[in-house]
Amino acid sequence: MSTQTSSTIQFPYKRTLGPVISRFFSELTAQRIVGIRSGDRVIVPPMEYDPETGNQLAEDFVEVGPAGTVVSWTWVAEPGKHHPLDRPFAYALIKLDGADTNLLHALDAGSEDAVSTGMRVVPRWRDEPVGRIDDIVAFVPGETPEGPAAGEAQDVQTMDYFSTITYTDVLSPTLERYAASMRAGVIKGQRCPQCNRVFLGRGYCSVDAIILGEEHEEALPDFGVVSNYTIVTPTPYPGQKETEPFARASVVLDGDEMVIAQQQIIGIPVSEIRVGMRVKAQWFPAAERDAAEITSKGWGTVAGFIEGWVHTGEPDEPAEQYMNRVF
Amino acid sequence: MGHEPVAVVGIGQTKHKKRRDDLSIAGLVREAAQRALDDAQMTWSDIDAVVIGKAPDIFEGVMKPELYLADALGGAGKPVFRVHTAGSVGGSTAIVASHLVSSRVHKRVLAVAWEKQSEGNAQFGLGGGKSGSIGAGGAFAPWIRAYIRKSGAPEHIGWQIAVKDRQNALRNPYAHLHLKDISIDKVRESPMMWDPLHFLESCPSSDGAGAIVLTDRAGGEAAAADGRPPAWVLGTSMRSEPSSFNGRDPIRPQAGVDCAWDVYKQAGITDPRRQIDVAELYVPFSWYEPMWLEGHDIAPVGEGWKMVDRGETAFDGSFPVNPSGGVLSSNPIGASGMLRFLEAALQVRGAAGEHQVDGARVALAQAYGAAAQYFAMWAVGSQLPSS
Ligand SMILES: [Zn+2]
Repeated sequence: MSTQTSSTIQFPYKRTLGPVISRFFSELTAQRIVGIRSGDRVIVPPMEYDPETGNQLAEDFVEVGPAGTVVSWTWVAEPGKHHPLDRPFAYALIKLDGADTNLLHALDAGSEDAVSTGMRVVPRWRDEPVGRIDDIVAFVPGETPEGPAAGEAQDVQTMDYFSTITYTDVLSPTLERYAASMRAGVIKGQRCPQCNRVFLGRGYCSVDAIILGEEHEEALPDFGVVSNYTIVTPTPYPGQKETEPFARASVVLDGDEMVIAQQQIIGIPVSEIRVGMRVKAQWFPAAERDAAEITSKGWGTVAGFIEGWVHTGEPDEPAEQYMNRVF
Repeated sequence: MGHEPVAVVGIGQTKHKKRRDDLSIAGLVREAAQRALDDAQMTWSDIDAVVIGKAPDIFEGVMKPELYLADALGGAGKPVFRVHTAGSVGGSTAIVASHLVSSRVHKRVLAVAWEKQSEGNAQFGLGGGKSGSIGAGGAFAPWIRAYIRKSGAPEHIGWQIAVKDRQNALRNPYAHLHLKDISIDKVRESPMMWDPLHFLESCPSSDGAGAIVLTDRAGGEAAAADGRPPAWVLGTSMRSEPSSFNGRDPIRPQAGVDCAWDVYKQAGITDPRRQIDVAELYVPFSWYEPMWLEGHDIAPVGEGWKMVDRGETAFDGSFPVNPSGGVLSSNPIGASGMLRFLEAALQVRGAAGEHQVDGARVALAQAYGAAAQYFAMWAVGSQLPSS
């Protein structure tokens, strides 16, 4: 059975819309749809430039719709969580009255039988507009828009865009063995038969491009020397939990073959961390070791297995020979 | 039949700012591209192909933005290329565009590189979307410590560069930072962000774009005849190496040395310190100036900081570095390499205005990316190369 690890990345992006899309969204908050004139055509939603030539368009806005005609459509029988509606609906290309281009939007028509090319549709407006394309909740069949009475237009200059994505990694055989070995409290590296360099959970030599397998694996020491470090003053950003300066150190394992980057040094203030300091791994208790941080990007990590590194109390080693070893 | 000579005949950039809240992403790239077209006395329809570069898509959360931007850059019905080589991408974008001309695939190519950092957060992006990101500063700080320790450079070198580049930026109306009262004391007393790097030794976060129009020999000669001298491309190179292997020298990466000598050879340069008049080097953290002077054999190993200390890299020095104000003054990441490349072209065209270096005939531009492992460099000159 192969191990899968999963990770979610999310971020609240903030878009600046520029003069043309700002106007489009501002008008939407008052239940008006505007396009922009480009020669003889009216483009909806409006654009800053002619999409065929790249030429800048004058900001000559034209109100269109709100009713329009379905030009083409496809039925979504089983909507997922990212779809705009939670019941079966159509995605439709809609040519609004007065427009020369088609608008893509959801069409809430109840059943597939109720949808046809050439049918007339109108917006169902959102109760409380926010200045986004889903201020039109969906189009619906007919000639009379649905929703509350139109209010005053808001000045919409930006758009919040909350992005979230979840990745699933299936671990390679190399990483499977690496994770098993780390669970047992042993760091195993792979030694390249050509250049003799050691790599962690990578499965190949990044210098010689030789595939490395189980036969190239050997246990490495879990103690070594701090080769370099930085103390980071954290800046706030969504998801940032650090508030105080924190240190990240690189540790060269004894034998000078493997460097493990971005490690925490435990038990001393960050101001006392120094190059040449001898340290040993502090493993998490066996039951708490966790492979969640291991991904198939070709990088071994000790995160989830080794909590940090503690000073052994031995004398420091000369710094200069180690300082280049950071990653 | 040799390569077609390549001429830079149009140059444009945005006003770089912390937040260009007056523009969409399309508006941002078009501001730079339209200025480059105007400078080249061309219109969108004159362009045969478009090359777009930017750093990781996670910075703005727009995946494959080159698809969204194709028509914004007049690319309908034309070949459009995306380039992505991390921080070096602005330089790589210019080089890819130049190769489309030198190989005679296209005659007139528009290259645009950009970043709109204010839409997201680079610390977040560089930290893989997790808490505790060390950012670029945290990644480079240990190597900077190693350089300082090995070279024996005094700590004021970093402060001096931070001041010099910000003073140069005062000459450049497009630069993001205009720190009129910058001083050594201010740099030294600014917060320690990534020990040993102070806040004012670090680049800002910017929105911005840069664009160039490249054309062939006939196009370059026609522009020159019209009183608009082009910058001629004398040599281009891109090199890379893995970020992590035993024996790597991350302070003076071999890929950077090889990249430089590849360019020097093409440009007929045997003594870069004497034959290059001005250089735009990618210096997001002050200490990278001496590190690249040594990393590209402009100064002997261990001697780069002495060039700085003697004032040779100052605006009026014998080897000016970053007359534009550099990455330390404007950092729209994906565009930052392009800004180096287009500044080098501005200099040899004699079109750099207040930041024009007198007598600049040969200029070097460099950009690097990721773990100091991707390099892009070009040399440009005021004269058509003879070969
Ligand atoms: Zn090898």
